[in-house]
This record gives sequence, C-alpha cells and structure tokens, in this order.
Amino acid sequence: MKISVNTEIALTYLSSRKKQTVVAAMGVMFGISMFIFMQSLMKGTNDYFEKSSFSTTAHIRLYSENKVADAHMLNSYLKDNSTKILTNPKQLQQSLGLTNPYGIIQNIRKNPQVVAVTPQVTTNVIYASGSVNINGTVAGVNIDEEDKMFDVQGNMKEGDLHDLNRVNNGLLIGKGIADKLSLHVGDNITVRAGSGSPMIMRVIGIYATTIKQIDETKSYANIVQAQNLLGKDRSYVTDIKINLADYNNAPKVARDMETITGYKAEDWVQSNEQLKAAFKIRAIILNSVIGVILLVAGFGIYNILNMTIYEKIKEIAILKATGFPGNSVISIFLQQAVYIGLMGGVIGVIVGFLITFMVSKIYIGAGTLKYLPMSFYIPHYIEAVCFGILTTIAAGFFPARKASKVDPVTIIRG
Amino acid sequence: MENIALKTTNITKYFHDPVTIPVLKNINLEVKKGEFVSIVGKSGCGKSTLLYVLSTMDRDYEGVLEINGVQATGQSLNSLAAIRNESIGFVFQFHYLLPDFSCLKNVMIPALKLGKFSPKEVEARAYEKLKMFGVEELALKKANKLSGGQQQRVAIARALINDPAIIMGDEPTGNLDSKNTGIVFDLFQKLSHEYGQTLITVTHDEDFAKRSDRIVEMADGEITNHGHR
Repeated sequence: MKISVNTEIALTYLSSRKKQTVVAAMGVMFGISMFIFMQSLMKGTNDYFEKSSFSTTAHIRLYSENKVADAHMLNSYLKDNSTKILTNPKQLQQSLGLTNPYGIIQNIRKNPQVVAVTPQVTTNVIYASGSVNINGTVAGVNIDEEDKMFDVQGNMKEGDLHDLNRVNNGLLIGKGIADKLSLHVGDNITVRAGSGSPMIMRVIGIYATTIKQIDETKSYANIVQAQNLLGKDRSYVTDIKINLADYNNAPKVARDMETITGYKAEDWVQSNEQLKAAFKIRAIILNSVIGVILLVAGFGIYNILNMTIYEKIKEIAILKATGFPGNSVISIFLQQAVYIGLMGGVIGVIVGFLITFMVSKIYIGAGTLKYLPMSFYIPHYIEAVCFGILTTIAAGFFPARKASKVDPVTIIRG
Repeated sequence: MENIALKTTNITKYFHDPVTIPVLKNINLEVKKGEFVSIVGKSGCGKSTLLYVLSTMDRDYEGVLEINGVQATGQSLNSLAAIRNESIGFVFQFHYLLPDFSCLKNVMIPALKLGKFSPKEVEARAYEKLKMFGVEELALKKANKLSGGQQQRVAIARALINDPAIIMGDEPTGNLDSKNTGIVFDLFQKLSHEYGQTLITVTHDEDFAKRSDRIVEMADGEITNHGHR
C-alpha cells in the first residue's frame, strides 16, 4: 500500500504520543456513543408513543359532523340578491351515517398514498352484566382489516380475534370492561345501543392497549352485528378509517378528502396534538445535549492539536524549510484530527451499541411498558460517525491552519 | 549568463522590532554554478539573515532574488516551497531533525515529498547519503537518540537527498569535531567540483572558509569584499 508522506508523518506523530491520541479519541468516542444512545432512546420512545397512538387512531378518520345552519336553503328559495343573515344559528343534526360509504371508499382507494381503508360503525352503548351497567362504545369493524391497521392481534390477552367473523354476536372487549363486569371469554354480555333494543352478545376475546380509557370503554364487534345492534341496514357506516404510506402526509391528504367528500376528515395530528408537541420537545432536548457533547469532544481535539502544534513548532518550521507547502502542513495536522475522529468513531459506534443494548434490558414496568423502548436504527450510527468526523475536522482545521502559517525563519532563527 | 546559480539585485532588509533598522543594505551578489562560497563576518553583520533571504524562506525584503535564472521574489508560498524542496538543500546552525522519526526517515522525507523516486529508491539513496557521512549504522535509530555531531551529519545528508542545485549551510560544521569537519568539507568540495552543485555557507570557521573557492566578507549589512579571485 502506498501512503503519502503527509499521512506517514501524521501517523508517526499520532503514534509517538499514544496517550494524548487515546485521550482525544476517547473524547470523540464518548460523544459518538452518547449520540447513538440518546438518538436510540428518543427514536425508541417516539416510536413507542407513535405506535400506541396509531394502535387506536387511524392516520385519517372520515366521519359526518353536525353543521351550523347557513343561509343556503333560504338563498335557493328566494333567488334574489339580498344578503341574508341568520341570527343565532343552531347546529343541524346530520345523519351519523355516511351517504354511499362504499362509493367513497372506492374513491379513496384510488389515491396512491392510501394503503388501507376500512369502514366502521361506531356507536355509544351501555354494557350490562348482572346488575351493573357501564357506558362504552362498540366499534363494528372488519376485524381482519382492523388488525392490519392497528395490530389488534398484538393487544390480545385472551381468545382469538378471528372469532368475530365466526361466532354469531361475538364481542371483543377491553380488559377494563372485563374487569369491571368480571367477564371471561365465553361469557354473555348485554349490549344496548341508544336507539336499538338490547342484544345479548358473547365475549370471544379480551384485549388490552396501553391506554386505560380505551380498555374500559371500547369493544369490537363485526360490522354487521353493529349494524344490527342499531337496527340499520348494511350500508350504514359512521366512520371510514384510512392509513397512508407516510403518516406525515396525513394533514394534507385529509384536507383533500374533506373537499372531495364533503365530510369531516380528522388527521392524527389533530387528534394527537400533545404527542406532536412531545416529539418536538424531546428532539430539542436531545439535540442540545448531543450538541454540547460533540462540542466538548471537539474542544478536546482542538486543545490537543493546539498543544501538539506548540510542541512541534520547530518541526513544522523544518518541514516548511525542506519544501513542505502550507497545505501539506494543513493536511498533516488535519489528518491527525481525522484519524482521531475515525478511531473514536469506530469505538464509539461499538460502545454506543453496547450501551443502547444494555439499557434496552433495564426493566421499567410502568403500565404496559416493560423495558425502556430503544430502537436499533442503522442511520443513527452512520449519522453519529459523520457528525463525529465533521466535529473533528472542524476542531482540527483551526490548529492545522495555524500550523500552516508558521514562519520558518522566525522559528529557526529563534 | 546561464551559469549563474543565484543572483541578488539591491536586496535591502529591515528589522522592525524594537525600532526599524536596516540589516541588509543593497546586497548585490552573484554565485556561479558549481561555486563553493563562504560568507564570513562578525556576529550580527547580517550574514545569516542574508542566507535566509537567499533560501527563499524569508520573504520580507526589498530587491530581487533570482535562483537558476528564475525570479523567486514575489512568487507564491507554495511555489517557493516547491523550489526549496527541489533545488535547495539547507543545513541549519543547530541540527533540527524531526525527533519522532528514524534518521533514515528524516533523510527520506524531503525526497518522499518531491516524489521523483519510488519510496524504495529513496530509501536506497538515503542509505547512500548516510554512508557518505559514516552514520549509516544509525539509520534506524530515532533522531533524538543521537549525539549532536551525529545529528548534524544526518541533517547534512538530508540536505543532499534531492541532489539540490544549491546547498546552503548556516554554520554547517558548527557541531562537528575537526575530523568530521574535514569529512564534510571534502564532501562539499567534491559536490561542487565534481557534481557542479553550488554551495553557499555562512561560517565562523576561518580554516573552513579559507579552503572554499571564494570568501564573501560582510560588515554592517553590506558586502565589503566579493572575494573574486
């Protein structure tokens, strides 16, 4: 292997001061491993909260919303140019069901960003078992599609969710409901929707999410059962749930759908504003911590190279006297910084992985969260190395430039 | 005049600290190719200062410097570095080796920088140069493990590695005993007479100066005797 004379000199300088080199590399290593650890923790946490939010919320939910009365009807009746003002307008009760839901679904499927669409019948109900009544909601769903969108399977505690398709009047209830009514798989439960007659249903499974409020109120039924419960026909659908390939596009796509369908399209950002804010705050905290760590590591390198240059100032003068131009001197010292950065980077990646791995085994046991959520995401490691090397180059550049400006005459003549 | 190795026209230089005083006054010097010139004079007469100007390292002067017919004055730092690397070998008053490197590497570095020969050839040539000064058995020792005289000889070997057209020495034999001074002198003479390399040395050693081809005498920043024979 042919290495340039600049590289050779840089390496000799590094190896003749092993202790300093190692200390500088440790600084970088620390910065990079912390970078990886913090990023993994943040992404793990964000993913966890996102997942738990998307386990109950679709990216977009399309439903019929009551509207405020306007002068539209009056206009079409009077057909003149006067301006009508409604004083004290009231909300108009709209039908909760969507008109032509399967037509809307077909239309939505045409959008290339949409990956899953499922109709749903949601209704408020009263669960009764023995003498106890509790309020809740029943979601009439196609359980296979629901599972695909929200990973219902992952939340199952007892029973088989596919029984919703097989068992007549089957009901998949939350763990909170099961506890309050002391129900088990196979038990019967009376469900009464506001306008319909009570119906006896059979518990075919129990699920638990991370959100207590949902577990205590929500249960799943087959969409047909839900329609029966309300005494409605097969085309009665209250919500259409939509998942996109990239959930970050949800707000924009939701606005488009509102215009096309005329119904309210609520995106996940609207229903989870606090989640979005938490992401942002965490990102700011994390980035400032990482920034400080890398800054400190950078100052370490800066210091060590600066000291080296004071120590080696005579040698730099000699190199220049024997015909090394300024940019060769920069190259010699910058290379030292880069090798320190690379060394620290490689070790830092390994240490960062180990820390992340060990922390992911720490038991937390808060609610359904057993272990600290950590993600092992390759781009973090690549980013860490890039940032580490950028920091070392930035930290090395100024001392190197100073070295290149050494005037050999003043140094040699003393 | 093709056989002029180095020529200065009206070189004047000032020191500004603490007050501005002229150290070199209208120096007009011509050195022919293959000439062995000694510059002598009392301490503080400006002979070392002149040598650093001639070496292209010191750019803070008025007047014109030409090396091998090419004007060095006003050239960029990088091209001056390239000129020094290829055509000027410099021996400093104190040895000034790079202490972290072996003697062999010290000698090789300017040649590796020049890149005219492969590293293997450079190594062979470096051994050859070390042999000329009887320090080849020290080749693999670190430079800071050597005595002053040994370091000085390695430093001279380094100055010769690229077969420079001009070799400049600031007291090149200052650290050597009489025997080694003799060796170095004979070698310098051989370089100038047989290989046509130009030598310019600043020295206090009168014997050394007397045996060179030409003695340039300096006093108070001026050349008082060009020493043409």
